[in-house]
Amino acid sequence: MALTTDPDEDLVRRVGRGDPAAIQAMVARKLPRMLALANRMLGDLAEAEDVAQEAMLRAWKQAPRWKPGQAKFDTWLHRVGLNLCYDRLRRRREVPTETPPDRADDGPGPDRGLMAAQTGIRVDAALALLPERQREAIILCHYQELTNIEAASLMSVSVDALESLLSRGRRALRQTLADLAPGHDPGASPSPARAAEGGRK
Amino acid sequence: MKVERFQELAEAYGADLRRWPATDRAAAEALRLAEPVMSERLLFEAAKTDAVLHTSSTPQVSMALRDRVIASATAAGLSPQRVQRIARRLAWFSGAGWAAAACAGVVFGLNLTTQLTADQQVDAVLYQATLDGVDDTEVLG
Repeated sequence: MALTTDPDEDLVRRVGRGDPAAIQAMVARKLPRMLALANRMLGDLAEAEDVAQEAMLRAWKQAPRWKPGQAKFDTWLHRVGLNLCYDRLRRRREVPTETPPDRADDGPGPDRGLMAAQTGIRVDAALALLPERQREAIILCHYQELTNIEAASLMSVSVDALESLLSRGRRALRQTLADLAPGHDPGASPSPARAAEGGRK
Repeated sequence: MKVERFQELAEAYGADLRRWPATDRAAAEALRLAEPVMSERLLFEAAKTDAVLHTSSTPQVSMALRDRVIASATAAGLSPQRVQRIARRLAWFSGAGWAAAACAGVVFGLNLTTQLTADQQVDAVLYQATLDGVDDTEVLG
């Protein structure tokens, strides 16, 4: 296996020695990433916190025996976080909940002053409605800023397949959230949802 | 790079070329210079989707979660004292191991020497048997 340059290598070594400052630095560096990953994968903050905490616990156990040069610690940690998310998503499928997941708000566009606060919620809801693999590809590449090779490896797909998932996911989001795009004229081109609504009238 | 490939990359990775595969960036930059109108239009479209994606809310780590995670490091055994204890124990085992290996070496060496001496004596007796006028005691001492 080719040697990998890992920006976390020194920090992981210090964590493995029980250095309290390194542990705090690792928390500052990785916990927000794990929480963001899990929150976007699961769409539930409480579950995301559990996943992030468990992923960090596994990082603590791994650090003393981490062998540098084989893989990036961040990629390994993402693998752990993703597997924990998969477990929870699988459990959800096995035990269907009575409450359906939140849907993207297709109603009238919000007031400009409220848009900043509500846009994020709409985007998160639209993201949650994407097919799981498309959502995962966008989360890993766009939000977690992993390279295409890292993301494809984590998802066990080829880079070409990853690009296809990204393109389809972004296209679906663009269509769902067309009215949020910069330069959108509300009167000129209605979002597909509103167009469909208008067509039914 | 052809315009079609440039479009595929823009649609997949967005308008920021730093997010594109490293192997494609140089060719993409070259295409931007060669086809500025077409490439900027494609990047502009991709940037609109990027802008929407960037509005997604990112959860903040609460102090409670942060404290729990730091506490879990100690629970997992990551305290300097404990790590030092483990290191000392490993060093002791390592020292004991070296000592055991040294003893084994001495015993093996003694056995080997005895064996070699016996072999040499046998060879000498056999050689002496082929000679006339040599007393066994001269050879074996």
